[in-house]
Amino acid sequence: MRAVRWFLLIVTLVVLQTALFPSLRVFGAAPDLLLVATVAVAYHRGAEVGAAFGFVAGLVIDCFLASPFGVSALAFCLVGFGVGVFQSGMLRSSRFVAPVLAGVAGLLGGALWVVIAAIAGQDDLFTGHTVVVVVIAAAYDALLAIPVFPFAHWAVGDPDPARR
Amino acid sequence: MAVYRSESRRRPILVLLVVTSLVLITISGSSGVVRSVRSAARDVVAPLQRGVRSAFRPVADVFDGVAEVGDLRAENARLRARVSRLEGSLSKERAIGQEVGNLEQLLDLPNIEDATGVAARVVGGPPGNFERTIVLNKGAAQGLVVGMPVVSGTEALVGKVTATSRSTATVTLIDSPGLGVGVRTEKSKDQAITQGRSGDRLMRLNFLGNPRADISVGELVFTAGTDGAAYPPDLAVGRVASIDRNRGDLDPDIFVAPVVDLDALVFVKALHWPPRAGG
Repeated sequence: MRAVRWFLLIVTLVVLQTALFPSLRVFGAAPDLLLVATVAVAYHRGAEVGAAFGFVAGLVIDCFLASPFGVSALAFCLVGFGVGVFQSGMLRSSRFVAPVLAGVAGLLGGALWVVIAAIAGQDDLFTGHTVVVVVIAAAYDALLAIPVFPFAHWAVGDPDPARR
Repeated sequence: MAVYRSESRRRPILVLLVVTSLVLITISGSSGVVRSVRSAARDVVAPLQRGVRSAFRPVADVFDGVAEVGDLRAENARLRARVSRLEGSLSKERAIGQEVGNLEQLLDLPNIEDATGVAARVVGGPPGNFERTIVLNKGAAQGLVVGMPVVSGTEALVGKVTATSRSTATVTLIDSPGLGVGVRTEKSKDQAITQGRSGDRLMRLNFLGNPRADISVGELVFTAGTDGAAYPPDLAVGRVASIDRNRGDLDPDIFVAPVVDLDALVFVKALHWPPRAGG
């Protein structure tokens, strides 16, 4: 049952990302739903699961991008790991955690994606426009974290208490 | 919400995923497996995408309308002025076009009229933020293959098919940084290559045959159609938008705006080029 929920989470977000959000750009920037989901999963389940989910989610969205296959997988995997490590040191959470975490991770994830893509050959990305797009997309990610975090929590659940 | 795991368990998993990603990035350009995986994933998701696009079309239309209402008014006025100007020159160009067509037939040169194609509807844009692509509602099953030039109407080049699945195709637009188009200028006939720039709708004219060529703002550039070119000759690519000759460089900075609005494409045609034997 849990596997079905994971599957539903990824498929729903990838369909929305590829079919709906290209039409809902703000100043030319679209959010990155699968990155937000990676942040949510890492927040709920820790670094290992966050990194693995980020890798799979990144591979799935890479299927729909023109950039080299694996760029998003690497960027999301590192973001998932980083968020997982960070959240393990958090003493308490608040209702602002989701948007703040998604916004900051969106900023870092976007920057990481650009650097990895540039190393992979897309060196035309180092422009002022790229910085603007990454910042706007991160703000969009922060906003969408509000619905995505509960959805991701429903899909991945809480960690097994016996393993904590 | 805290999850406690030892660092020693975390690191091997991360290293494994990072190494796998790096291997995939390295092989992605040349691997047929990667192309097949991408194509299969697009086919699997395509019916769901169609459903979502239909269901959310009103939302997307409202979003577009709010974002573009100011631009549309200005564009309307600009287009009215342009229509009246174009009507004046149309009859003259028809006469010239007839002469060119006759000459091409005499010389047996392949031209745009020889190219058959597949008309398709634009159903989506790029899911990412750093690419200039559109998605068509037809794919390999309807005869689209990677490399086909894509035009709007029969006169203006839009881009090139760069990926196909069974039911969809991805077209990289001419103002994408990764795509260069061999062109010639309208008046001086000098050849050059257009190059898209990240985050900018204007293309730079690179490798101009004669850097001192007499090129003026507003001049059209057409596909060069040199021997073995990827695009048919004489398709309008863009219009010179600005020229900067004062930088002290050997080549002037010439920027070209696409002749069609690449953000507002609805129907396009992918051409079989070079033309298939027997048309």
